[in-house]
Amino acid sequence: MQTVNTASVPEFVQRMWHTLPEGRVPAKIFNDPAVYELEKERLFSRAWCFLAHESEVPHPGDYVLRWIGDNSIIVVRDEHGEIRAHHNRCTHRGNQVCKAEMGNASHFRCSYHGWTFKNTGDLIGVPYYREVYRESLRKGEWGLKPVRIDTYAGLIFGTLDPEAEPLDEYLGGFQFYLDFFLKPGPNGTEVYGPPERWVADTDWKICAENFGGDGYHTPVTHQFGFQLGFYPSSGKTHFMGYAVHIPGRGHLIGIGHTPGLPPFVGFPEEVVEGMQQALSPEQIEVFSPARMSVGTVFPNLSFLIQPFSLTPKQPGLKFCTMRLWHPRGPGKIEMFSWCLVPKDAPQSVKDELYRIYNLAFGPAGTFEQDDFENWTNLSRQNGASSAADFDLAYFQGLDWEPLKDHPGPGLAFTPYVTEIGFRNLWGTWLNYVSTPPGERVDPSRVPPAFHPPQ
Amino acid sequence: METGAQPRTPPGVPRTAEIPPEVRESITDFLYYEADLLDERHYEEWVELFTDDARYEVPVRVTREKKAEWDVSPTARIIDDSKEMLQVRVARLNTEYAWAEDPPSRVRHFITNIRIHPGDTEGEYAVRYNVLIYRSRGELPRYEVLSGQRRDVLRETPDGWRIAYRQVILDQSVLATYNLSYFV
Repeated sequence: MQTVNTASVPEFVQRMWHTLPEGRVPAKIFNDPAVYELEKERLFSRAWCFLAHESEVPHPGDYVLRWIGDNSIIVVRDEHGEIRAHHNRCTHRGNQVCKAEMGNASHFRCSYHGWTFKNTGDLIGVPYYREVYRESLRKGEWGLKPVRIDTYAGLIFGTLDPEAEPLDEYLGGFQFYLDFFLKPGPNGTEVYGPPERWVADTDWKICAENFGGDGYHTPVTHQFGFQLGFYPSSGKTHFMGYAVHIPGRGHLIGIGHTPGLPPFVGFPEEVVEGMQQALSPEQIEVFSPARMSVGTVFPNLSFLIQPFSLTPKQPGLKFCTMRLWHPRGPGKIEMFSWCLVPKDAPQSVKDELYRIYNLAFGPAGTFEQDDFENWTNLSRQNGASSAADFDLAYFQGLDWEPLKDHPGPGLAFTPYVTEIGFRNLWGTWLNYVSTPPGERVDPSRVPPAFHPPQ
Repeated sequence: METGAQPRTPPGVPRTAEIPPEVRESITDFLYYEADLLDERHYEEWVELFTDDARYEVPVRVTREKKAEWDVSPTARIIDDSKEMLQVRVARLNTEYAWAEDPPSRVRHFITNIRIHPGDTEGEYAVRYNVLIYRSRGELPRYEVLSGQRRDVLRETPDGWRIAYRQVILDQSVLATYNLSYFV
């Protein structure tokens, strides 16, 4: 900790090294201009950030436009089928070379002076090349700036840090849990369509935390679901299940259990067969009894599987949503919300799952509406000047013991409703924003998220 | 027009000329009445203006190149409701736990550019019109304005006009709203 140069880190962030292990998080981290600048410089510039799902660019030339921090990134499948990512910035004057959010292109042509780049990023066209450059310009050196990418189970991640550890190491065993969302069959998932996008005066961090397994909010924020008869669980059993996190890495998941539910309940028959083929016995042990699961890949990519139906008092089907809480400024986000469907499922099942997802999530979703009501209001309150001196209560599970016989990686606790994983999440965040540029982020420095009695 | 030039109307866009004035007046009046029910939050009466087989869709709009085949997603939806699902939304708003609408949004629907065309079925009309939706909420001076085109199929019934189909094509690919807890 002594080696950390915290010169430009606000006092309320520095204080977290002491307050977080005691279960206190400064309110101001959830909406502050200096924090946003730190996150751009030290977090989104170094972490593996989610870009796209492979099924969004299925054919050669297919591209989507995405973000890493405040950088516009083209994700494109080249003519050889290889997925690549480039900065969306012409190397001549910096103009945006791709203006559509998705499409198919063999090349990108700048509308300013006409420099033209193949979808591999190579510079292939320079107007008046001989006349004005007299062959002094080495085209091979002036391609679109590439972004390092890696994939896991259909997810494409990118990092701006050439020194970043491999994605597998970064995920640190969380793949075990991601598979539940991403391997509903041997051929995995696909997006149903382009994501729903909208903006909100909400800090990305509160969303990432909530989808890390905030089962505590469900009976209150989403009480309507109980009132109208949508849930297979009652408020009495809702807190039951498991909370798992990967220490030092930030990733976390909540797995809600309701006693007496049959295994894989709520999944279409074809999907159950697919999961049994695609998942390991240990994964099946953890997930087959789950009512729902909700998790976050640090920093800002989340997944949720939960049962829902088009009308109340139906058995319900389990849909899967993937969402990116993309920061667009202090206390501001742009939302990307996708529905992932099992690639192997019949079209009628995909259609039904999407329709159910749609009633629950997206800007008009009956769950999402109320979440954004809370997140927007709390982001505003935490942006107030007094919030710098105000610590929020993160005490749940401070003295709990991790389970000894949990079959998966990471540390598991029961019940599902606890704040242990959130402390690990904010400890990981603290580690990133406290580590100055040029130094490596060392996961072992993240403070422990719990203190079992000696 | 004096030169004989026809107004430039893209293929598929309905013209209103052949619609009798009383039908036009009656449909226009119905749309104003329906907007008023929404703005006054009479949701239970509002939802009964849909036929039992109605579909209410708000597709995702996507920023595409000019040459692209579509910019209204053929698959992705923000809302894709049956009448029963609309009734669920109304029932939700009537619980004490629809936090997003308590205090309620102040919403105003502005309707213009109404064009009417005979529908595919006797007694049905295809109606396209522009809608501008203003929303203010809480004590903050900020507000949202959404613009879009509604494409309705209205059906004549013994109880008056009913909405058999509604598609609302919004004019933003990234919506400037933190939620759509109100009806567009």
